Amino acid sequence: MYIGRDLANANRLFYRSLVSFPLSADPKEATTPVPDLATDTGKANADATEWSFTLRDGVTWQDGKPITCEDLKYGVSRTFAQDVITGGPNYILGYLDLPKSGYDGPYKKDGQADFDKAVTCDGNTITYKFNKPWADFPLAIASLRAFDPYRADQDKGDKSNFSVFANGPYKLQGTWDEAQGGTFVRNDAWKQDSDPLRKPLPEKIVFQQGLTDDIIGQRLIADSGDDQFAVTDIPVLPAQYSQVTGPIANRAVLVDSPFTNYLVPNFKTITDLKVRQALLASTNQEGWIAAAGGDKAAAPSKSIVNPALVGYADNPNFTYPPAGDVDAAKKLLAEAGVKTPYKITFTYRSNPTRDKGASALQNTWNQAGFDVTLNPLPDTYYADIQKPSVVGDVFWAGWGADWPSIASVIPPLFDSRINLSAETKGQDYGSYESDTVNKLIDEAASKSTVDEAAKVYAQIDDQLGKDVAYIPLQVQKFYLLRGSKVGGYQAGAATSGYPDLGTIGVTG
Amino acid sequence: MSTSFLSVNDLKVHFPTEDGLVKATDGLSFDLERGETLGIVGESGSGKSVSSSTILGLHRGSKARVSGEILLDGVDLLTLSDEEMRQRRGKDVAMIFQDPLSAMHPYYTVGNQIAEAYRVHHDVSKKAAKARAVEMLERVGIPQPDRRVDDYPHQFSGGMRQRAMIAMGLINDPSLVIADEPTTALDVTVQAQILDLLQDLQTEFQTAIILITHDLGVVAEMADDVLVMYAGRAVEYGTVKEILTHPEMPYTWGLLSSVPDVSGDPDAALLPIPGNPPSLLNPPSGCAFHPRCTHRDKVAGDLCRTQLPDLVPGPRGGVHLKRCHLSDPDVIYRAEILPEIAPDLVEEL
Amino acid sequence: MGAYIVRRILVGAALLVTMSLVTFLLFFATPVDYARLACGKTCQPAQIEEVRKSLGYDDPVLVQWGKFMKGVAVGREFPDDPALRAAAPQLVTECPAPCLGYSTQTNSLVGTTIKERLPVSLSLALVAFILWIVVGVAFGVIAALRKGTLIDRGIVGIALFFFAFPTFFVGLFLYTYFAIKWQVFPIPRYTPIADGGVWPWLQNLLLPGATLALFYMAGYVRITRAFVLESMGEDYVRTARAKGLPKGVILRKHTMRAALTPLVTMAGLDLASLAGGAIITEAVFNYQGLGLLAGTAARNGDLSMSVGIVVTLAAFVIAANIIVDVLYAVIDPRVRVG
Repeated sequence: MYIGRDLANANRLFYRSLVSFPLSADPKEATTPVPDLATDTGKANADATEWSFTLRDGVTWQDGKPITCEDLKYGVSRTFAQDVITGGPNYILGYLDLPKSGYDGPYKKDGQADFDKAVTCDGNTITYKFNKPWADFPLAIASLRAFDPYRADQDKGDKSNFSVFANGPYKLQGTWDEAQGGTFVRNDAWKQDSDPLRKPLPEKIVFQQGLTDDIIGQRLIADSGDDQFAVTDIPVLPAQYSQVTGPIANRAVLVDSPFTNYLVPNFKTITDLKVRQALLASTNQEGWIAAAGGDKAAAPSKSIVNPALVGYADNPNFTYPPAGDVDAAKKLLAEAGVKTPYKITFTYRSNPTRDKGASALQNTWNQAGFDVTLNPLPDTYYADIQKPSVVGDVFWAGWGADWPSIASVIPPLFDSRINLSAETKGQDYGSYESDTVNKLIDEAASKSTVDEAAKVYAQIDDQLGKDVAYIPLQVQKFYLLRGSKVGGYQAGAATSGYPDLGTIGVTG
Repeated sequence: MSTSFLSVNDLKVHFPTEDGLVKATDGLSFDLERGETLGIVGESGSGKSVSSSTILGLHRGSKARVSGEILLDGVDLLTLSDEEMRQRRGKDVAMIFQDPLSAMHPYYTVGNQIAEAYRVHHDVSKKAAKARAVEMLERVGIPQPDRRVDDYPHQFSGGMRQRAMIAMGLINDPSLVIADEPTTALDVTVQAQILDLLQDLQTEFQTAIILITHDLGVVAEMADDVLVMYAGRAVEYGTVKEILTHPEMPYTWGLLSSVPDVSGDPDAALLPIPGNPPSLLNPPSGCAFHPRCTHRDKVAGDLCRTQLPDLVPGPRGGVHLKRCHLSDPDVIYRAEILPEIAPDLVEEL
Repeated sequence: MGAYIVRRILVGAALLVTMSLVTFLLFFATPVDYARLACGKTCQPAQIEEVRKSLGYDDPVLVQWGKFMKGVAVGREFPDDPALRAAAPQLVTECPAPCLGYSTQTNSLVGTTIKERLPVSLSLALVAFILWIVVGVAFGVIAALRKGTLIDRGIVGIALFFFAFPTFFVGLFLYTYFAIKWQVFPIPRYTPIADGGVWPWLQNLLLPGATLALFYMAGYVRITRAFVLESMGEDYVRTARAKGLPKGVILRKHTMRAALTPLVTMAGLDLASLAGGAIITEAVFNYQGLGLLAGTAARNGDLSMSVGIVVTLAAFVIAANIIVDVLYAVIDPRVRVG
């Protein structure tokens, strides 16, 4: 499970965490974790390298057995079994204080003793020991499900992926079909007084997967039968915007998503800062957004960091108008003294929308004195552009923060030490290497509070902007429809912009 | 008003096409009595097959325009409804087709196809119809008919298939049988056997037979009367003896020349008729045969090219009709044609 | 005949073995690193190698294929790593012969998943098949009987229109108008017969079935029309008329029988390939059949699932070929062999 809406839905319905995001529509409040299974939001030592949480009394699994500290520990240990459980966020691997020899999970148990020292249980209190400060650890707990409790006797390894052993207000009825979905019903073992957060409203929640975006839009617009009680995490398609008018528009919300689109110049080929600045100046965000569907689909962005994240600030280097400034770019190219038209290749992940957007970008860049060749790549895009051999002077990319903190944006994308090697560029697609930035990243990581770290990240973002390490494109928006008999609807930062299943009820 | 068993009067079968009207048959008349055989002779496209399928009513449902009358036992077949005609088809009037490999359905057994012909006109069980089919197969001389009845057409030899086809045609004791080139694809021995069979059956049932062929040899053996067709019209009509001994139309002479000599003279020349059969869409003016006729110069005033001759009694009179402007055809035939094709006969006549 | 069928089945089996090998070779011939794909965007090289090992992609292709073939013959146990199986018996999945493998992406035995999805594709194929055969053949016959008229041209034209029109749009159109806007049909959702009986099953299949049928129908209209026309000109049909058979009997027994051979060939192969899934129609109507499964497997680089589907689909096509050939012999006595 590693998709924003699934993580959020799971937290609201069946997998409780030590701490969770509250059912709030206010962006600031919604990204501040509150106690859930734990009695408080965690206690850290002075440098934030040790975190402790104490389990609340009376919290149980769906079979009535209490949730224990051992369950929490077991949940973390599974992430280490990389030979059994593949994919998913595995940040914990880098943080937990383990010797280099490693730990290979609760199945083979090599290095189990080391793990037992790094994660300890004292009654109902669990303590995590990290090898470096992790100031926003509670944010990670609330966002990801990797720190949730897991019952060892329910573990079938890889096969467990689609089974649910619940501790929230709902449990899975029958089985989950990864293609079709499944049905959740009330979990009788869950007690309202053990849960400060959730107020289960509907009797039953049916997940239907696999429908095409077009059909979902059509059905919600038509609003007939059971669809009147439906919510979706699929934004309305631009082609259907014109049908969302009058009373239908009352059933739509436009929310910011945690997803941004950005461009990275290839530092191996565009070595001249002025040329990168010219590229930045003549980047036509407006054209790109128009191709995506206009202001209901996206908004221009002023940073790679999503405005919804804690500590967000506009990057002071991105001052050009959203449609680009061709004249400024021409001037910059002239200052650079390069021969124009300056030949570049734009490499991106192809789909009809991005093809249109790419040609809008190409157009404006060409006006500024570039000669742009488009290089659309298929769906294996990210694996392709990680290869050092990939062709391209500018790469498109998208990013969604794993937890609402800049720490889950800048280091994974621009720390050259964890990304660049002979075989791969990791996620530093532009091969950006800056000792200044790397040092600042370490400094930010050493901060024991999120706010202190945010100040350092603002410095880093400024440096990235000065170097034109990236060019922001857009913040994706979700234009979401719901059925006419859905009450308490809310979609926001607490649930990555998706409908919050913790608040939804039915009316009429 | 004719009193013959079958009387065809001024039969016209025209097909409208995108290019114009095709006059496949244009004013055909003849009579036929029970127990007798009429041979219709002509090249492909002369209208002989079209005329006979029209008698069977097979033109119905197509675009053909048909006029004239076809009186069978006093009833004009052309005035019958489709359903009435269907009920007579195969029962009163039957057809024996050439090339039975394609004329029989490859997916059904011979017995099935013969029995089907019986059951459509007789309300009997499948078993009874099959028994009847076996009986017919035996009558047409198929050995072990009770076993062969379950064979498929491709398991039969050519001659046997033709016999089976005859069995199918005759199973309902039709009073009129049209045999379309029944022996064309067969070798000479089998050909003779099939013709003998047809004659035997005719004697037995007093069937009237229209024998369509391009082979005057077959006509000589089988027919009582003969009708020579060219470009949709009769060009010579009379008894077999009369026509074969005193042909009066150059086209008939041509046909005679192109037949291997029945009397077996190995020296006789085999002379094909020069030129090609005429287009039925734009038939030649005057006598349709004139472009291929080597004797047209013997007629004064370019008459052959300008005027269609009537089908009238020739100089020998009687029932010998011919459609030709030549005034003394018999003389020309004996002087110029006969010595070429059958020198030994010149003296006899 | 019996010996012939046995021989054909043996050849078919050999073909299946070859197909599976080719799938393995093709899979690894592409420049895509499937271990990286499976590991995800954030993976470091060391983790990718871990994943590669756990997926078994680090073995030479022939070794991987050998393991697959062995599984088909005598069954296997997953995960492949014996040390892991010994350490954590709760992880072991027994895969009895014929074992098509284990997908780490769907976390299930390939054979089990295919068995789950197959009924969906089969149902869809069957309903579509019946629709297009009945409608296609009927219209083909009508067009042939009315050859050259407006009716003929209309039928052929409409059939071609639906053939040329993308299935995706036809499906979306039918879904949007018949299910959502006019609500003539319920929102299509696959309902197994075991769950609700034949009618709900069929009712839900009508729209997706029609979508497919409209596409396939064109071929059947045209081939039926052509062969009925050809057959109507055959001597044996003239013979049938000369016998005095009624028109209906002639059409049914004599004319249509001849058009049967090409129809059976086409229908057999179409049905077989459709049983392997119709990805577009399945996607539009959210029918989770083999087509969508194959699409997902290909996109995610799920080797086990891809091989399993290829082999299953190939088995269908080979079986259909054998059945069609046997049917030939039933239809046409000339083809019967000793």
